[in-house]
Amino acid sequence: MASGLYAAGCPGIRVKYPVALALAALLCAATSASGAQPDGALSETGPANGLADSAALRATVFGPAPQDIAPLPDSVPLEEINIALPWVRTVPDLFWFDRRLRVWFSAQDKPAPLAIVISGIGSDGNTSKLSILRAALYGAGYHVLTMPSPTFPDFIVSASSTGVAGDLQQDSRDLYAAMQEIIAHLPRRVRITDIDILGYSLGGAHAAVVKSIDAAEGKLKIHRAIMINPPVSLFNSVARLDKLFAINIGSADSGVERLYKRLYTRLANLYRMSQRVPNDDTDLLAAAATVLKTDADFSAAIALTFRIALMNMFLAGDLYAGTGVVIDPRHPPRPGDSLEETARILRGKPFAEYFAQVFAPYYLAHRPNSTPDSLKADNRLDIIGATLRTNPDYYAQTNSDDLILDKPEFEWLQATLGGRIAVYDHGGHLGNLGERRQISDMLDMLSGHWRQSGQ
Amino acid sequence: MRVALCICVAAWALNGCASQQLSIRSLPPETPAADNAAAIKNAAALAAVATAASQSPAAEEGDHAVIPLTTADAPSMYSYDPWERLNRFTYRFNARFDETIFLPVTYGYGRLPGAIRSGVHNFFTNLDEVKTIINYAVQLQPTAGVHSLGRFVINSTLGIGGLFDVATKFHLDSEPTGFSMTLSRWGLHPGPYLVLPLLGPSTLRDSVGLLADFGVAYEVNIAHLYRGEKTWAFGVVDAVDQRANTSFRYYATASPFEYETVRFLYVHRELIEDDALHVKHHPKVRDVGTPAGK
Repeated sequence: MASGLYAAGCPGIRVKYPVALALAALLCAATSASGAQPDGALSETGPANGLADSAALRATVFGPAPQDIAPLPDSVPLEEINIALPWVRTVPDLFWFDRRLRVWFSAQDKPAPLAIVISGIGSDGNTSKLSILRAALYGAGYHVLTMPSPTFPDFIVSASSTGVAGDLQQDSRDLYAAMQEIIAHLPRRVRITDIDILGYSLGGAHAAVVKSIDAAEGKLKIHRAIMINPPVSLFNSVARLDKLFAINIGSADSGVERLYKRLYTRLANLYRMSQRVPNDDTDLLAAAATVLKTDADFSAAIALTFRIALMNMFLAGDLYAGTGVVIDPRHPPRPGDSLEETARILRGKPFAEYFAQVFAPYYLAHRPNSTPDSLKADNRLDIIGATLRTNPDYYAQTNSDDLILDKPEFEWLQATLGGRIAVYDHGGHLGNLGERRQISDMLDMLSGHWRQSGQ
Repeated sequence: MRVALCICVAAWALNGCASQQLSIRSLPPETPAADNAAAIKNAAALAAVATAASQSPAAEEGDHAVIPLTTADAPSMYSYDPWERLNRFTYRFNARFDETIFLPVTYGYGRLPGAIRSGVHNFFTNLDEVKTIINYAVQLQPTAGVHSLGRFVINSTLGIGGLFDVATKFHLDSEPTGFSMTLSRWGLHPGPYLVLPLLGPSTLRDSVGLLADFGVAYEVNIAHLYRGEKTWAFGVVDAVDQRANTSFRYYATASPFEYETVRFLYVHRELIEDDALHVKHHPKVRDVGTPAGK
């Protein structure tokens, strides 16, 4: 008899709500922390930092209240497509499960426009955020193709031409190539009348750059692009998240261990007080949501979620580039080897180290005449600034309290998009994704009917 | 013989499927409107639970106050995994088996009408009440035992052999327990992490519990389901039903750290359960340097 053992798997794998994801991520990160000595007290109460206010942090972690979600259809068909791409490089043993790119597709049963949606940093093509966007788009009559971020390990292994993720242009070119392959392999019954592209967070920047590449190459004839809470400079946004980590979690191992102990204790006490045992994972995660209380908790959850994404990128990049930071290129770990120590080291490494030790060495060697500064400049959205300014088919949605943008970046977005950007006064980073207003604006933008005066 | 045949089919499928250039698999449709309605309901229920927890008698000051754990009581973040190499091998096998055999079968099963699937699920859940009742008896928890016995009787009669979960409609919610929890009440730690072939993550205590619970079911042999010609078919349907009701997907994280992640969550979930069970005792100060579960 199979007896519920599966049920106790990792709840972070496919969870419905952002808070569950954040907490699972938080717990997941703690997986391999060392028993290092504490190096100072961790603040238990907010305010946590100067990066965002309490409401923005809370919205970022918890997402919209379910009663604020836009009307969604009763049923959305879903197909999972696994595709081996012809340019895939030799798959390292360590990533044996990532041979094929996995994307998700929802088909209308009549000719319809296709909406391609790209996930945020480190995320797969079937997150809870994508589920909401998929439902809204499908309900509005689109075929919907949801894709992982080029920074997601499955994409890095099965679709990246470099294995070193994080370069806005290169990653977008890989995405564009993958999209062409996928669309060419869609079932014949699927009839596409037009193609639009969207993305959230880093995926928003990818969406815009992919459209600009397509404008030159014309292979997909992408019509409109929408960026939802995009970064302006990937490296700046990431630096803010690393700062959030440093302030709220501290220096790596010991900080994560303290955070883990705090949350474990709160969760255990919650059950002790209510004198019951968690019934299932949903129950456990729901309770876990209530133990995130302070700004420091929210900040830690956000920072750690990002750090986990970075750990995978770092590991893959180090392996592909042969930079030897955590993996000896001559003796890479085999699938049976423990990665606990590797994870412990990586958890302590911010993006700045990924840039300095993996990303820059690789791209400086492969791009003649480049410098570290030019690499950083190449990763700003203003590489397509002129197009964003003049082309009426680019749109954006952002929040005035989005914690991945600083003031000049926010103003740059507003000035560049002009009348094609919707700015909401709440939500932090993606915390209003799925709300009625955000969804109706998004659909109006896709159909070309959106006007800023409608705000 | 049957086992050998299964292994041959599995090996063939594992080899074949991994090399396909393209596969398109229909998944069960998503139901966003119903999911959101459920989320609205859950949010309200959760708020009620949180309020109840903070106001429960156990939380009050006084002689009977629950002594809250402190961070010093939290177990180590490490999980005790002395058989890691074997476990990793099994995990990998399970992932391949799941992807090529178990999931396709489960998705096929998912195309059956929902009423049939929920009938099957209720049927097996009802059978599980037998081990729940026996374990509550062994744990000297008569109230919970009678509660589960009530569920079993109601669902077996009014619920037509367990096909309908009538008891839940009467506010008798399922509160399953098993021999692993009995061992936990007796003070036994989870022991080493163990990945079971086909079944997935476990601990030594959970595995022993599983075996004992199966032994009980085998002995009771309700309706001759556990010892008979068709027992294997019964087992397969049970396994498919379990899988269909579990959202876990191997390597959905696409991350080489997945093994560590799943292990951490499994072991620490069990430790939280233990802490919740032992609420009436003074919390023991653990040696936080010892790997969790040891």
